Amino acid sequence: MPRVLVIIPAYNEEETIAGVLASLKRQVPDYGIVVVDDGSADQTASLVRANPPAALVRLPYNLGIGGAMQTGFKYALRNGYDVAVQCDADGQHPVEQLHLLVDRLAKGDTDMVIGSRYVADSGYVPSFSRRVGKSVLSRLVDMLIGGGITDTTSGFRAINRRALKVFANRYPDDYPEAEALVIMHMAGLRAVEIPVKMLPRQGGVTSIRPPHAAYYMVKVGLAILVDLFRRPKGTLGEP
Amino acid sequence: MEGYTQTGIQTAHRVGILGLSLLLVLVVLELVRRGYLRERYALLWLGTAGFSLLIGIFPGIITALAALFHFQYLTVLFTMYFAFTLAIVLCFTIVISRMSERNRQLAQELALLSRKVEELRSGAGSQDREETP
Repeated sequence: MPRVLVIIPAYNEEETIAGVLASLKRQVPDYGIVVVDDGSADQTASLVRANPPAALVRLPYNLGIGGAMQTGFKYALRNGYDVAVQCDADGQHPVEQLHLLVDRLAKGDTDMVIGSRYVADSGYVPSFSRRVGKSVLSRLVDMLIGGGITDTTSGFRAINRRALKVFANRYPDDYPEAEALVIMHMAGLRAVEIPVKMLPRQGGVTSIRPPHAAYYMVKVGLAILVDLFRRPKGTLGEP
Repeated sequence: MEGYTQTGIQTAHRVGILGLSLLLVLVVLELVRRGYLRERYALLWLGTAGFSLLIGIFPGIITALAALFHFQYLTVLFTMYFAFTLAIVLCFTIVISRMSERNRQLAQELALLSRKVEELRSGAGSQDREETP
């Protein structure tokens, strides 16, 4: 049995975090849980403390989703986990389907398994602005990494130790999901996707609003182009 | 007006350039001396000031360039200052980018170590999962 860690990046998620932790404890009691509190100003941290054995790692200030996830990756490596699963704190990720990702990863022929919202049967209808903002880029990323991934921005994913090491060294700051695929592709790692059913947001506010769509396109597009031509970085970051 | 065929630099301009560049050199050196500005970042400023002094002393440099490109010599002067300014701004952006990357790593390290301290203090937590990285 691989040791699995669920990483939950949380920024002001007091409305939903306790529910997510409760369902994790119920559905996957064998998995370790770490909540990376990304400088929340609300009760997120104390709610996590009230819910052992979930571990709380508190960043001193907001680093953005990418910086928070990378903290979780480092935590996983240092505590000897074999697999890390990303799970959003807003309750949109279907916790009862986490084991599907882990089981698929256990086959050993891939370094990342993505729970896709677009594959048939997933029952997911993205909003219009999300479709427009992401479809072009999604296709570009899919093309760059050699095909096979339709939902390049899904945050519901599991990675193995090889991918953990790559991401502990380098992970994008904001909107990291698509770019992370390119980074791991350049490092010679593989990703596959399987269908999952997503839930609507359980509370709080979404971090992606229409004005961000243009910024998202430009920022991630540029970052991906840079990744393609970047020379591999040394071992800066992880000792 | 003589326009493009202007050959000499006006005395008032020359005095202005000399005065400003001397002032810049003194201000930068004083900032370094007081520790407000680190030497490595002061170099580009001193380079700019040095270039400016050079032109004040040998104005022939820019009048020759002006004649070559058919510009007014003031245009040449401002273009060169602008190029130096761009170089300084670019250099600082590089420094800021590097600092923000280090800042991120530092914040992550602090968060992970704080967690470690809490675990060690409570004696509970993840003794069974500890592994040296």
